[in-house]
Amino acid sequence: MLFMTRTLPFLFCFAFGMTGFAIYYVPHEWAQSVEREFALWLRLVYAFAYILGLVSLLSLHWSKIRQRQAGWAYSLIVYISFGVMFLFVVYNDGNGPFTSQATTGPYQWMFTSIHVASSATMFSMLAFYISSAAYRTFRARTPEAAILLVSAIIVMLGRVPIGAYISDVIPDTMQWLMSVPNMAAKRGILMGVSLGAIATSLRIIFGIERSYLGGGGD
Amino acid sequence: MDRLINIDRRIIFIFIFLGIAIPLLVDIPLPIKPTPTVRSVYDEIERISVEDADRPVLVSFSYGASTVPEMVPMTRAILRHLFSRGRKVVGICLWPEAVGIAQPIMDELAVEFGMEYGADYAFLGYKPGNLAVVLNLGQSLAGTFPFDAAGTPVGELAVLKGVRNLKDFSFVFDFAAGDSMEFWWIPFGQEKHRFPFAGGCTAVMAPDLYPFLQSKQLVGLLGGLAGAAEYETLIEAPGSATAGMEPQSVSHLIIILFIVLGNGVYFTTRRRGGKA
Repeated sequence: MLFMTRTLPFLFCFAFGMTGFAIYYVPHEWAQSVEREFALWLRLVYAFAYILGLVSLLSLHWSKIRQRQAGWAYSLIVYISFGVMFLFVVYNDGNGPFTSQATTGPYQWMFTSIHVASSATMFSMLAFYISSAAYRTFRARTPEAAILLVSAIIVMLGRVPIGAYISDVIPDTMQWLMSVPNMAAKRGILMGVSLGAIATSLRIIFGIERSYLGGGGD
Repeated sequence: MDRLINIDRRIIFIFIFLGIAIPLLVDIPLPIKPTPTVRSVYDEIERISVEDADRPVLVSFSYGASTVPEMVPMTRAILRHLFSRGRKVVGICLWPEAVGIAQPIMDELAVEFGMEYGADYAFLGYKPGNLAVVLNLGQSLAGTFPFDAAGTPVGELAVLKGVRNLKDFSFVFDFAAGDSMEFWWIPFGQEKHRFPFAGGCTAVMAPDLYPFLQSKQLVGLLGGLAGAAEYETLIEAPGSATAGMEPQSVSHLIIILFIVLGNGVYFTTRRRGGKA
């Protein structure tokens, strides 16, 4: 049993990890065909992950409805919304489920007028919360915080036309801030994150890090 | 001072609301100055329109419903520029939600510029797999997208004649609301196959992508609504992004004034020996 739950997954991880790493750098036709197959398998995994996600979402909300947990009505809305959208996808504006999705009809209307509109509204509301948070927390308590504050003001003004309206210096300074200090910092962060990702990947490939197998990090 | 420090957040919300609503109703003409990163995208499309006119352009839509206000104006601006120069365009989606958003825009603009489906442009729809789709595209387009969104085999689409993989496109552009540019397209597409690549992203993501501009892995970058407005200025077709610059300018100004006010209160309170 230990072989199936620990050893075999580790062997798969090692084999696929090392092969995936090696073929990225090998332009030989054989390596390319292996890469193509790997990518196809990965896409299949992604497609099945959608099914897994759907089952997980519906199970979670079903248990909330069944146990009448706080806010169970929202879970009911999830079911109703899913059901209605699913029915109209199958209906496909009268064309049925076996032809390509119609670009008109009730499904497209619900997608554009309800889903897109409500999602965009939720995202847009961030502007209000950011404003309130900036007023309460953005303080020049230290010289570093003061530099950050001045830079933020220049970038905020420089990114919108009112900056150029006040002075041409503002967008030019904004561009310099983005292209030099920002880029230097981002590059450092990116390299650090990448090195961390490489180290973690190697630990997983060589079996040093096994917490992904479950049952503790031994 | 305490009242100012603990100001009801609804008062701030009202100021922001008015700062957005009033400029939408009253026209405040402001100059829009294209930045070098946006101009580079424009110049690249102009260049390929002259030097590489036969090969199609690939546009990838990697965004969803929540970022529509930022991403759709730049989608329209880029497609408008491509179609106005008679460029053949192939659209794909790496996010499932993008299909319902991008396809109507492509169809609408194609009608406006008299582009014919199949001959001048095509929409191949969505495939799951994120970076794996990019990897497969680098080897075989027909193997990755055997059919377009309407179910037509890609071999029957004249716009894809002679296109085997990513290297056969004159230019690739990614509209990204996630990490598709830096983690999918650049490492598994542009870096492996060396094609001209640029992108458009939400404003909050743009600073993360500047290292790729200096390394030339990105030809140019459109960041948020401001990037779209700059592009609309370059193609001389003001649209919703240009209109959005007025409320965005005023709301930025209001946020800055609140930050200055907050700091003024903070320093005044501190000088008096209070706690802020």
